[in-house]
Amino acid sequence: MEEIMKGFVKYTSDPYSAIEEWKEKNQKKVIGIFPMWLPEEIAHAAGMLPVVMWRSNEAITWGYAHVPPYNCPMNKSVVDDAVKGKLKFMDGMVFLRECLQSQEVPFIIENNMPPAFEEYLYMPPIYHASNADLEFTRGELERLRKSLGEFGGEEITDEKLNESIRIYNKNRSLLRRLYDIRRKKPGIMPARDILKVVWSSMLMLKEDHNKLLEALISRLENNGYEPVKGKKVFLSGCLCIHPQVELLDMIEDLGMIPVDDDIYVGYRYFANDAEITDDPIGALTERHFIKTPVDPARGEVEVNWGKELVDKVKRLNADGIVTLMTKYCPPHLCYYPDVKTVLADAGIPEVLVEIEHEIISYEGVKTRLQSFKEMLGGV
Amino acid sequence: MGTEYKINKLDTSGVGPLVDKHWNELREAKDKGMKIAWCSGPMFIYPYATPNIASHFMAGYAAYCGGRGMADEVLEAAERFGEMRDTCSYHRLHTGMAAMIMNDWPVSNPQVILPTPDLLIGGRFCTEMSHYMEAIHRRFGMKTVTIELPSARSRDDLPRLEKFVTNQVKETLIPAIEEVSGSKFDEENMRNIFRSWKEACIIRNKCWEFFKRKPSSWTLWDYGVSIAPIFYAMGKPESLEYYQDLLKQLEERAEKNIYAVHPDGEKYRLYWDGWLPWSFLGKVIRIMIPYGAIPIAGRYPWEFFSHPDDIDPEADDIIHEWIRLIYTSPNTLSYYDGPWGGQDKIEELIETYSIDGMLFFSSKTCRMWNLGQQEIIDNIEKKYGIPGVVIDGDMIDSTMFAEDQMRTRIEALLETIDARRK
Ligand code: SF4
Ligand code: SF4
Repeated sequence: MEEIMKGFVKYTSDPYSAIEEWKEKNQKKVIGIFPMWLPEEIAHAAGMLPVVMWRSNEAITWGYAHVPPYNCPMNKSVVDDAVKGKLKFMDGMVFLRECLQSQEVPFIIENNMPPAFEEYLYMPPIYHASNADLEFTRGELERLRKSLGEFGGEEITDEKLNESIRIYNKNRSLLRRLYDIRRKKPGIMPARDILKVVWSSMLMLKEDHNKLLEALISRLENNGYEPVKGKKVFLSGCLCIHPQVELLDMIEDLGMIPVDDDIYVGYRYFANDAEITDDPIGALTERHFIKTPVDPARGEVEVNWGKELVDKVKRLNADGIVTLMTKYCPPHLCYYPDVKTVLADAGIPEVLVEIEHEIISYEGVKTRLQSFKEMLGGV
Repeated sequence: MGTEYKINKLDTSGVGPLVDKHWNELREAKDKGMKIAWCSGPMFIYPYATPNIASHFMAGYAAYCGGRGMADEVLEAAERFGEMRDTCSYHRLHTGMAAMIMNDWPVSNPQVILPTPDLLIGGRFCTEMSHYMEAIHRRFGMKTVTIELPSARSRDDLPRLEKFVTNQVKETLIPAIEEVSGSKFDEENMRNIFRSWKEACIIRNKCWEFFKRKPSSWTLWDYGVSIAPIFYAMGKPESLEYYQDLLKQLEERAEKNIYAVHPDGEKYRLYWDGWLPWSFLGKVIRIMIPYGAIPIAGRYPWEFFSHPDDIDPEADDIIHEWIRLIYTSPNTLSYYDGPWGGQDKIEELIETYSIDGMLFFSSKTCRMWNLGQQEIIDNIEKKYGIPGVVIDGDMIDSTMFAEDQMRTRIEALLETIDARRK
């Protein structure tokens, strides 16, 4: 088990060196993909390694010469890493319009350290999924296919794209299986390890990740399981960035067991497959417009995040929800009061924890979580 | 001690009744059996041109509340309801008002309350425009339409985006307006709005000429207050009359050598980026005036179609015409309002209006104008040698407005200008 985990942890403990080392060894291009909606499959089909950009491992310093402190950690982190020269191993970067702050990052990067390849997709929200929306989105994805193909010197055919979608679907279905196991056997793995498994999927070649995942799942399915005592909690939110592992440890140390989530570096990342059809770009377009899990950034009025959470909590028989809110993330900030109201009406206990780039006061967070645990009651 | 500078405001009192008329019409609309649309972003024109539906331009409500000292009460209501303080204050204003309506909370000034909408139109110029629309939808459940209006990364993208927006408007928005209002969208109405709006903008542009004079005849704040007629009275004769009166005042001033800054004109001509600080216009100008500094031009106040000659009321496709103005017309809002085109626009304003220094108003909660501000300052400083500073604050939330910090930054800017003049 430990051996398998090492394969994942290599990437999460120092993604910069691990990816660079992979690149050196494989002599392939690395493409940074801004979270949360862009189909990595297109870069994979171009024979490159797509990596989802991440919250960095050190304090923001130089970045503050470019963005204000009240920008979200995703924005600040990528800017800071870029101006410090930490992202030089990325041959290309793909950005998107998904919120205001995602739009700013490419502007700053172009102004300071433009990568060899850059693309910016105007991915629309998903309210209406009208013909206009679908046609436009398809055009955006086609544009990426074309420009990445040119950058890589080889056309990205439908066959190649379908092959990549197949590999990615497999990865998603394995991750969903991992989550199923955790739902049935709460606490089977520490939350920090689950996070590392998911996060590493965003950083390493999917084929390699699939192999490790298969081995991990086989162990988890065949090893014995000692039920873990604690209150079952659902983790919600945390758009774009991964939460601090120390925070997950704290939740568990206080006697709560995360049994499921809808965080981005979690279920949200692998929830939806793209179909294998003779029109792969069409399939990726369709996937963009899937309305669940509710994504407050993607925008939707027909489904309701609060109700979705109530259903999930009931199905899991969970005791409460820990909302992880990426600090200064307007899509989540704007939605949160309504989620809170729906949860309160349904009698589901909930606590809010803000996730900054660096958590300044773990003590403050601990106090909040401790009171929440007391509210949930005994072990 | 040197000269004692004083501000010499233009008479903009004509705005008040015009604004009141607009809000009263909105309040009376329901009694007349009309439907109401609340619109964020520039999509308000489509319900406006349709019979039986009144159109509320949501950003205007912020200026209205801010200007009349009503904002704090509404923002407090939002907080009481549970709104997060890091959301933009325009979001909190509307959700605060919604909370007051839902909970029947007492209101000290009943003017704060607007009639609840039958249709919500989120013109997603800024992505957050749709988030506050969704929040209102979740609370009241009315029909909601969202039109994606991306700001462009490059001029090459503009035709593609224009087509996308036009398709959305025709496919989704117009049918929704027609369904809710029970009336056909009226092309001729829209043409008439364009005709008289164009006339008003032509006169408005003549007024802008007086910003070029050194010393200037008026300040950006005078013009900021005067934006209202473009919206509230868009396409109505009152808006033209308002600008004609403004022009007359400016011509008189020019003739008599009366300047915006008494006694002998401004010492520093400043560019102001971002929203105008609606609740704090007086406070900000009082910081500047002792130094003889005034704001002269800004990207936001200039976004309201600075090339009226390009407005074509007789365009074949009048629905598309509005979108063309936003995308591929010379004053391409969708490019200039984003970070990439913003710099081009600011450079144009700096050159046209002989700017000495730049103030970038960075709202802590509205990031639309903040995007890339520091980069733009650095780039322009390198190119023109004109210094700039960022000042943090908020356009209406008084808890986020720090006068001392603002004073320090403005003083620092003026000192830098002085040092470069030597
Ligand atoms: S969705 Fe939220 S966290 Fe992600 S870039 Fe936008 S504001 Fe930041
Ligand atoms: S963030 Fe700014 S531009 Fe966007 S809706 Fe809020 S106030 Fe308006």
